Amino acid sequence: MASSVACLHAASSIQAQGFKGSSTGSPNKIGAFPLRMVLKGFSLDVPLPERKGNCPRSLNLHVVRSSSSQSSIADPIELPSNSNSTDSQKKSTEASLILIRHGESLWNEKNLFTGCVDVPLTKKGVEEAIEAGKRIRNIPIDMIYTSSLIRAQMTAMLVMSEHRRRKVPIIIHKETEEAQRWSQIYSEETKMQSIPVITAWQLNERMYGELQGLNKQETAELFGKEKVHEWRRSYDVPPPNGESLEMCAERSVTYFRDQIVPQLLAGKNVMIAAHGNSLRSIIMYLDKLTSQEVIKLELSTGIPMLYILKNGKFIRRGSPIAPSEAGVYAYSRV
Amino acid sequence: MATGAHLHAMGCMQGQMKNHSNGSQNLAGSSQLRMVNESFYTDLRLFRQDNLHFKIWKLSMACMSGSQFLVADPIESSSIRSSCDNHRRNNETALILLRHGESMWNEKNLFTGCVDVPLTQKGANEAIEAGKRICSIPVDMIYTSVLIRAQMTAMLAMAQHRSKKVPIIVHNESEQAQTWSNVYSAKTKKESIPVITAWQLNERMYGELQGLNKQETADQFGKEKVHEWRRSFNIPPPNGESLEMCAQRAVSYFKEQIEPQLSLGKNVMIAAHGNSLRSIIMYLDNLTSQEVINLELSTGIPMLYVFKEGNFIRRGNPTGPSEAGVYAYTKNLALYRQKLDDMPE
Repeated sequence: MASSVACLHAASSIQAQGFKGSSTGSPNKIGAFPLRMVLKGFSLDVPLPERKGNCPRSLNLHVVRSSSSQSSIADPIELPSNSNSTDSQKKSTEASLILIRHGESLWNEKNLFTGCVDVPLTKKGVEEAIEAGKRIRNIPIDMIYTSSLIRAQMTAMLVMSEHRRRKVPIIIHKETEEAQRWSQIYSEETKMQSIPVITAWQLNERMYGELQGLNKQETAELFGKEKVHEWRRSYDVPPPNGESLEMCAERSVTYFRDQIVPQLLAGKNVMIAAHGNSLRSIIMYLDKLTSQEVIKLELSTGIPMLYILKNGKFIRRGSPIAPSEAGVYAYSRV
Repeated sequence: MATGAHLHAMGCMQGQMKNHSNGSQNLAGSSQLRMVNESFYTDLRLFRQDNLHFKIWKLSMACMSGSQFLVADPIESSSIRSSCDNHRRNNETALILLRHGESMWNEKNLFTGCVDVPLTQKGANEAIEAGKRICSIPVDMIYTSVLIRAQMTAMLAMAQHRSKKVPIIVHNESEQAQTWSNVYSAKTKKESIPVITAWQLNERMYGELQGLNKQETADQFGKEKVHEWRRSFNIPPPNGESLEMCAQRAVSYFKEQIEPQLSLGKNVMIAAHGNSLRSIIMYLDNLTSQEVINLELSTGIPMLYVFKEGNFIRRGNPTGPSEAGVYAYTKNLALYRQKLDDMPE
């Protein structure tokens, strides 16, 4: 995890330390303290948000995304102007968006290319999910989106088992009419206490084609080391019968824009539990990264990333820390 | 553990075997009764001596601690053993039934049915504990329902398994889903355990009761009606399934899809729900509809059957590896466990 590549995790862990009553003057103090912890090349200029996401103050996050220390600014971005006229009415609403990448899977452990093969979490991956849940237990969630792969779904459910609000996530079934009928809820009150969970293949991990199930050795022997490296690290070169990062981004960002953004605009707080490539594609969209920048972006596993949508703009708020870490500015893992 | 007939307790009554007449069965049966907790009383109309076909009518117990019941007495008597030794090992396969643990609506006391609610932390822990109990029993294929609480139970349990094989959910919902989940290494495929999800293994669909609590349903429908829907065999709640309807689709699926795998020599685990599993047990143990209504399968406690020569032999609830003094269930299962012990870490 602690690679030379700028980790969004590292950047964001510095933030959002739930600092009680941070209303004045403290930004400087907070800003200075974490700087000492920071990896080379980061700089922060950020006040602390209220954990519940009320009135976040201005936030400027400078994040180094490449080891060549070229900084780029993650300014709050303008949403592309949608044709929907209703959007303008909702601009004043504020909604949280949590992104969470699942933890260790059984093939991660074995060092096999996974892609869209539906392998479950290891014990460690389960623990990562539970830890992640503790970090966001106070952040409101009204809807959950996951991929169709069990490792993301389990992560979402384990996260929610830690959630304070006690609303119950319920997976929506629409695959057939019967599935829909069979999963109907007949109590209004119960429905209100539910958080719909929508599973979408568009949020799946990048499909790795003929590399799926092979280990690094086998792929190197079969295809050659450089070719494999190119497939893994390029933006638009797909492995045989697989997806490039660009193709993955196309279908996940489209889904995000068409399905998830409207919910956020309507004021719904959303959590997305998904995978490395589908999530960084979305972050590429949220933060307006270039293709060069996105291939160097690594999202830590099991560490939730919080964004706030306000006035039509996505503002990155970093990684909420666990409640037990109150008053601690340093973070323990990098 | 609730009071109510628990198959868990039944597991104590080891070695109920069909089609085997052997005087030693009695001995095994009675000695195990002595193992049982004081607070456990049985109301057993069983042990018909004629063909030693055991049926459990009703079991009630307050609490059964795992260490108390000696589940794994090798029941094979000498006569059985000699006839078995002649047969190939492939003839015997393990079938594990696992009912998921506490869900978030169990906790809130809401009728769940086919609403897809997840496990609580407690339910997740139950799954992990269950996994420890079966970590030395071979599993070649897994069947679950399409509901996340059963799937998570299977995955959490298998994360404890010693074999290092990886469960992989098979995706057949569309052609794209199928091609996208292709595995391109034969070696990796061999070390995979296919997981097949089937709506036919879903919990009984509870119709208009889904999402309501006991109070609401009593108010809306009347207490007796609700009791009747819950406890009868063939009366469905409005727009829901009766236990009979649930059994019909679950057992058909078992007979058509799962039993052939067992016959092929595959060891199978089924992670599912109270009603779909007891429907299957009704089939395995030849229970009547009266008997199955009184049957309760404990949550998070795996139930082992051995499938041999077309017969299902109940072997009870495997205990955890830390519980010393546990014998292997059958010779083959013992050999499998030995193989795991000998595996380099």
